[in-house]
Amino acid sequence: MDASQKPLPRITPDTEPFWEGCRRHELLLAECNACKKVHLPPSPVCPFCFSDDLGWRQASGRGTVSAWTVVHREWFEAFRDDLPYNAAQIELEEGPRLTANVVNIENGEIKVGMAVEVVFDDVTDEVTLPRFRAAK
Amino acid sequence: MNDIVRDKVAIVGIGRSDFGRFLPESQLKLGSIALKAALADSGLERSDIDGLSIHMGWPLGLDYDQVAEGYGLDVRYVNQMWTHGRFIAYTLQHAALAVISGMADVVACVTAISFTRERNILGGPGDMEGMREGGGTHGESPPYGLTAPAAGAALAYQRYMALYGATTEQLAAVPIAFRKHARLNPQAYTYGLSELTVDDHQSQRMIVDPLRLFDCSLISDGAVVVLVTSAERARDLKQKPVYIAGMQGLRSGREEFIFSPRGMGLNQQSGTRASADERDLAVYAMAGIERKDIDGLYTYDAFSPLPLFVLERFGFSPEGEAARWVQGGRIELGGELPMNTSGGLLCEAHIGGWNSIYELTSQLRGVCGERQIDGAKHLQWATCWGDSLVFRN
Repeated sequence: MDASQKPLPRITPDTEPFWEGCRRHELLLAECNACKKVHLPPSPVCPFCFSDDLGWRQASGRGTVSAWTVVHREWFEAFRDDLPYNAAQIELEEGPRLTANVVNIENGEIKVGMAVEVVFDDVTDEVTLPRFRAAK
Repeated sequence: MNDIVRDKVAIVGIGRSDFGRFLPESQLKLGSIALKAALADSGLERSDIDGLSIHMGWPLGLDYDQVAEGYGLDVRYVNQMWTHGRFIAYTLQHAALAVISGMADVVACVTAISFTRERNILGGPGDMEGMREGGGTHGESPPYGLTAPAAGAALAYQRYMALYGATTEQLAAVPIAFRKHARLNPQAYTYGLSELTVDDHQSQRMIVDPLRLFDCSLISDGAVVVLVTSAERARDLKQKPVYIAGMQGLRSGREEFIFSPRGMGLNQQSGTRASADERDLAVYAMAGIERKDIDGLYTYDAFSPLPLFVLERFGFSPEGEAARWVQGGRIELGGELPMNTSGGLLCEAHIGGWNSIYELTSQLRGVCGERQIDGAKHLQWATCWGDSLVFRN
């Protein structure tokens, strides 16, 4: 990998609709049309009932921080100027979790359980990353 | 009673190279030193080896064919794992199963590592784990700056602290214990260093919050070879056999995240923890013992929360209490349950966990001198993701 560039998501046939949703600034959850449960990361089958009949549902974009960390060590040159930077697992109010950063916040203010909402960051013309900020 | 595995296979030879940092030797050279030492230790000949079970391979090291070719082996059984903590037990278990099933008579378990030469693979630009289809399995998420496995342990301990009121001061008990052990082990990287205090621990630089420098394993070079054969054959060899009394695999599914207790709420875990059931504790039943019969516990301590989580998974400590449970020397030599008595990955060396397999074998032979566990009869390898072996002498 080119360490001077921040890595972009690995987009697979299963995750492509999720990332296309992000480009439209919509946060999508994989939804099973058989059992109606939602899941992440997007799977080709429902991990709960094993149905192939899947669709997509737009998430509210609201959730809470379920785990967080602040990276102080440089592992990857492209993130050097960001040090120390946070990353968190966000539990969406629909249940599934995803990993992202919490933006517009001092790292010391991040807590497990804090309410957050999604914001979209168009990092390239092709790719948009969901990140989260403290809920208003 | 499961009599397929119990005491049917034994570790009969162990060997190692020097452990260190920036060692000049190749992996293949380090492995040859360890293999020669293991053969001499056991009384077996190189030509007796007809199976190979390796815990190295791409991307960090040599594949099995290069190992067999380099050492002039002619084997009829091969198992190749890669250098992840979750595959230590499997490397040994598959060797044992190969012997039990007759696919091999003598299996050499080989791990040779030069982490210091390959360090850009450890979370750096050479580390492709997070960029695979599905991404990394320790919580890596490279687009968000989580490129290294340490982040997974950090996320888990942050949540653990929030749920149970545990602290990083309590976490210090893990490296404090293992440093004490390493001070009794001339092979250890931290041998000769002073004892750690909580203040020393707290004053170290943060690596990935809440993990400080002393919460992260050493980055080491070195090799360990373990020779496994049948109990019958073991009785005629040089060393007192160390028998595999029981074993179990790791747990996997949506309730699991490798660096977290089952169900604690990392990745897609439900957030509802369940106490250990018979699937989690099968190793004791197979060995015909109870948990209280374990004289010492060995685990993959790449990051200091992991020894806490293994204590909870196997029920040594109640849920959410391991950070308190380990206080007061409980996991130190002389304590209720000594852990990683050579210093482990945190304080001896990171030889993919095999330095601890070497140590527990030595303990069951009773040759550990100052750091010998008195009367060691049953020692356990176990990880916080659930795999385990029980060994006895």
